[in-house]
Amino acid sequence: MILELKNIEKSFGSKQVLTGVSFKAEGGKAFGLLGRNGAGKTTSIRILMNVFPADGGEVLIDGKPVDYSRVQIGYLPEERGLYPKKVIVDQLAYFAELKGMSHKAAVKSVDAWLERLGMAEYRNKRLDTLSKGNQQKIQLITALAHNPDIIILDEPFSGLDPVNAMLLKDVVKEQIAQNKVVLFSSHQMSYIEEFCDSIAILNSGKAALSGELHDIKRSYVRDRLIVRTESPDRIKSDFGGVCTELEDGSLLIRLAAPEEKQGMMKRLVENYDIDEVKVFEPSLNDIFVEYAGSGTEKEDRQ
Amino acid sequence: MKQFGKILKFELKYYFKNKVFVGVTIFLVLLIAVLMFFPRIVDAFSGNGSGETALEEDGEGKKADAKDLVMLIKAGSPEEAEAVREAFEAAFPDYDVRITEDGDRDIQEEILSENAECAFVLENMTSYTYYVDNLSMYDSNTEIADNVLQNLYRMGKMLESGMSKEQAGEIIAVQIENSSVSLGKDQMKNYWYTYIMIFALYMVILLYGQMIATNVATEKSSRAMELLITSAKPVSMMFGKVIASCLAGLAQLIAVFGCAVLFYSINREQWEDNMIIRSIFDMPVSLVVYMLVFFVLGFFIYAFLYGAIGSTASKLEDINTSVMPITMLFIIAFMVVMFSLASGNVDNTLMKVCSFVPFTSSMAMFTRIAMSTVPWYEILISVLILIGSVAGIGVISAKIYRVGVLLYGTTPKIGSILKTVWKA
Repeated sequence: MILELKNIEKSFGSKQVLTGVSFKAEGGKAFGLLGRNGAGKTTSIRILMNVFPADGGEVLIDGKPVDYSRVQIGYLPEERGLYPKKVIVDQLAYFAELKGMSHKAAVKSVDAWLERLGMAEYRNKRLDTLSKGNQQKIQLITALAHNPDIIILDEPFSGLDPVNAMLLKDVVKEQIAQNKVVLFSSHQMSYIEEFCDSIAILNSGKAALSGELHDIKRSYVRDRLIVRTESPDRIKSDFGGVCTELEDGSLLIRLAAPEEKQGMMKRLVENYDIDEVKVFEPSLNDIFVEYAGSGTEKEDRQ
Repeated sequence: MKQFGKILKFELKYYFKNKVFVGVTIFLVLLIAVLMFFPRIVDAFSGNGSGETALEEDGEGKKADAKDLVMLIKAGSPEEAEAVREAFEAAFPDYDVRITEDGDRDIQEEILSENAECAFVLENMTSYTYYVDNLSMYDSNTEIADNVLQNLYRMGKMLESGMSKEQAGEIIAVQIENSSVSLGKDQMKNYWYTYIMIFALYMVILLYGQMIATNVATEKSSRAMELLITSAKPVSMMFGKVIASCLAGLAQLIAVFGCAVLFYSINREQWEDNMIIRSIFDMPVSLVVYMLVFFVLGFFIYAFLYGAIGSTASKLEDINTSVMPITMLFIIAFMVVMFSLASGNVDNTLMKVCSFVPFTSSMAMFTRIAMSTVPWYEILISVLILIGSVAGIGVISAKIYRVGVLLYGTTPKIGSILKTVWKA
């Protein structure tokens, strides 16, 4: 299954929120939707989920306009919230039923998920009796219990301890393995880098960058080398201005042209005590700052 | 439609599992039970003693047990005073009527120190000053006194002109007989149940309206809305909530009134002499049907508005101020109806207009149907306007809801909401 947003336009009142946003997410792969606060991520997700229609553009599934009665979407909103005063199994089953499940199937699925996340003991408790992290896990079930084809996770890792984060990672990997479209939205770049094969970066309502993360990284001019060594001082004095020491102690060597890369590597390995030498690739963090950084931060939310 | 059913079920469960809701219903049923069994309870306590049951409604309670109320009389001459005393003693059986020679000051003193209840100071036989500590709204003493003095005066004049005492007595004692036949509605009979029904409507709409607004705002402030709005259609959610609360309200009313009817039928004999209670339970079935129709439609109009308003509030604290305009609108409608009902003129121009305006017609038209004769086509038009408005307001409020629930921060202005809704 391929989910595609094509030239989505949206304005609220006189404020243009999205101007021609396009991106593509494939089943069996995770997709990262990035952008600063107010860049239009939540609006894009809401249009994708048909909360309100776009002013222009299309949402396509396998090239055809999406039929919301047939495609199931699971959503973990960034603003977490369920009914604090209601029994957990009741409200989880209710949400699954709203997505079209029968009562029996909903309860069964909810129970299976509670078991999977180690929350079975809280089944008949009220939500507000749980700790914040556990409430997060309960919330996650609302996104998964109805076995959706598309899963949208907005900041899924915030508030989870490392053990729970691991559990969530396993769950997400399972879902990806089931060939589902998994769409991440997060500011924690390390998770995105770990999971996502492709990304889109929104900036001021436009998709500033989108595509395979691997290709994006390869697209940078490969004219810098990262060198890890026990004796940085000798290299620094030999290379002078083209060599700078990075924060982690490794060295960055600028080449005059990308073609010199092979020769330089050879020269380094032969002449110095080198632990590691590799072509510098920007981290997702660097890419994000480059593409998303210029947009002004907007606080208005719709 | 399937979604709507699920929302309805979920919301209904909310009411029937709500301890306050269940508690209030049980309390009301118990209250009704105590009220309806009251004569029996009183009988049980007083045994077979007096046989006279003191009902709160008859207003005699205060006077019945008090022969020690002192009424002072002061007149120009002892003969006059004696004549007046005799006549007053007959006219005021509850008072101990005494003649006094004190000055006005002393009489006032007596009343203030509660040695006397009231005093009549006669300047002559046709004019007097009435002194009383607190002039009660229902004090009819001066009316009675006027009558008595008038009769005394006439009697005196007639005797003076040479009539015999018997002749004069006959003239004064003459009674006019009358009987009235109402070809339309008997307002006396209908007044009380109209009053109760309007009041029930008022209470239920205000109570449930607030509940719906709070319910929506809670979903919004707890952010459960984020998920709901992506899971269900706003129209399904709005109608699910409103219809669930309407059913809950009806269930509560039926429980309370059903118990009232049940308890009344058990105690029917005890209530035989009470006109008001009897008139309430002898309400014609057609009126009950009208009541239901106007109740449901009127309820919907306000419930939708309350739901829409609830969706625009970001915090629960904002609810009270946000719903104020609607509550005011409703209270004004209630006031108009209540004043017209009390004045007895339910067909005044204002009421006629109100009975076609959807926000007021549920109460106004029902009152007119109950208290006067309304042509069938007027009822039909009013009901049709109401049904149309319910549908219209329902759809508009679902739109407001959809826009409103995703707006956080300061409560948006009505104008900007309507603009967004118009565009949506």
